[in-house]
Amino acid sequence: MKSIVLSSVVTALLMFSGCSDKDPEVSSSSNSNAQEVEAVQTETVSSDNGIISSGSDSLSMSELEKQLSSVYFGFDKFAISSDMKSDVATDADIAKANASSYTLKLEGNCDEWGSDEYNFALGLKRADAVKKALVAEGVDASKITMVSYGESNPTCSDKTQACWSKNRRVDFKLLP
Amino acid sequence: MKILYTLFLLISLSFAGDATIEVIKKVESLPSLAVEESSTSYDDTFKLKFFKSLIADLNVISIFNVDRHYRQVDFDASDVVVENKDMKYVLRYQVFEDDSGYFNAKIKLLKESQEVMNKSYKIKKKDFYMFIAHAIAYDINEFMGEPSVAWMKRKVIFSRVVAPRKSELVISDYTLSYQHIVVTGGFNVFPKWANKAQNKFYYTSLDGAKPSLKKVDIKTGKTQTILSSDGMMICSDVSDDGTKLLLTMAPKGQPDIYLYKTNTRKYSKVTNYSGIDVNGQFVNNEEVVFISNRLGYPNVFSKKLGSRDVEQLIYYGKSNAACSANNEYIVYKSRESSNAFTKNTFNLHLISRKTDFIRRLTATGVNEFPRFSKDGDAILFIKNYKAQSSIGIIRLNHNKNYLFPLKYGKVQSLDW
Repeated sequence: MKSIVLSSVVTALLMFSGCSDKDPEVSSSSNSNAQEVEAVQTETVSSDNGIISSGSDSLSMSELEKQLSSVYFGFDKFAISSDMKSDVATDADIAKANASSYTLKLEGNCDEWGSDEYNFALGLKRADAVKKALVAEGVDASKITMVSYGESNPTCSDKTQACWSKNRRVDFKLLP
Repeated sequence: MKILYTLFLLISLSFAGDATIEVIKKVESLPSLAVEESSTSYDDTFKLKFFKSLIADLNVISIFNVDRHYRQVDFDASDVVVENKDMKYVLRYQVFEDDSGYFNAKIKLLKESQEVMNKSYKIKKKDFYMFIAHAIAYDINEFMGEPSVAWMKRKVIFSRVVAPRKSELVISDYTLSYQHIVVTGGFNVFPKWANKAQNKFYYTSLDGAKPSLKKVDIKTGKTQTILSSDGMMICSDVSDDGTKLLLTMAPKGQPDIYLYKTNTRKYSKVTNYSGIDVNGQFVNNEEVVFISNRLGYPNVFSKKLGSRDVEQLIYYGKSNAACSANNEYIVYKSRESSNAFTKNTFNLHLISRKTDFIRRLTATGVNEFPRFSKDGDAILFIKNYKAQSSIGIIRLNHNKNYLFPLKYGKVQSLDW
């Protein structure tokens, strides 16, 4: 008994050809060698590369951003600790004054213990706690957006307690 | 005495099909299998690569005690090589390139030197060789009358973090031998197959002003934005027929589970708790198993669609932050050390809702993101141990785990 088997899985994999260029780029290669296609650098304007200096006398967006200090959290916690409250108050003052014309983007982050949805939600609850504190200080809620990056945006990659605590944070970004 | 015997029989029968009870088959009790190579085309490096791939697959089907020696013999030789004389089974194979450049393989399975099975395989490119190895192992498993290992032929899609906020989405086979990067550039996470045919998938893009759910058609390469939400947007599960999605969204900064219907493009809230509700998983399309911190720590709960009652499912562990469900079985990730000062261990556990038995499935490192195969026979998961990120597969009924390491980056999430 002889039969020729052409796996349907493989057939499907053979059909990768014909992709169009999209953002983010969908690989258009039909070559199976896992060739990495170069990223289209200009199509995604993230908060990082979307900063445009105003060139006026007032402080530029990136300079203002530097003045906003990150808020740090305890292990598995999303409540703002008492020693962080003065930082949040200072951030709120900047947000209400010089940065009032910008949208404030709060980026929640976690330490490395888990890539699952719960960790993303923890990052978001941290961002939400900062948002609530800012609103309580008089910042316009409609000017705040939030995102969580889970564990995937560490500022420190050492396997130490000090490093993990640096990663449990909410960063501030300004959007025009 | 008769009553006692009946009782014993009843107990044995009631536990016979329970995957939470460890089945330890002694290695010696498995029939031996040796593999003989008879290839005429291709260089020695490739021949060995194919041999290794086939040996790995034969190990994963877990029904043989596989001999790993690489021995060559003529395909039509009447006798097995002398070292394999005592082997119960011998698999002899030949790979060769035909006139049209196709990659071919033919096999014969010998039981006590008698041919009991043969088959031929053909594929356009030799780079897809691992799928032929998977197909050979699948067919031998079928021939031996064992429960199906159809999951072996399925594609895995995973997100690999390569730098802070930079990731790529990769389609691979379950051993990671074949890898095809389908989305690159930006920060894209939580890929999820959109249908059984595995020709469309969803993923979360974190590059825009708000997290967005996107859908990619692999055949056309077309990408479509489905929904956006402030804070969070993840497709946690897709119903068997592909018409319903369980999403984790946070339109008001509050992570909750939503049911999205693809035909009406409308969504409704499934959970409504002021803390964290995430990781919704369909059970028989009428119930949702999910992770919530409503007791002050992450744990596994369930809720019937359309009902308000929430039921706690797990009573073991103080931090159970991820789960996957298949009929009465739930596999969940549990933190086994709980402080901020030392390295943490996370293990996967399996529980049956019928018996409440708990079985620990992993032993070391950070084990997470468990995903049942559709038939519940195997669990795919992520293992991070000593700076090495791997995809693991657990054969529940054989009590065996296999690991396939990633060459670079870290696996963030996966689906199959």
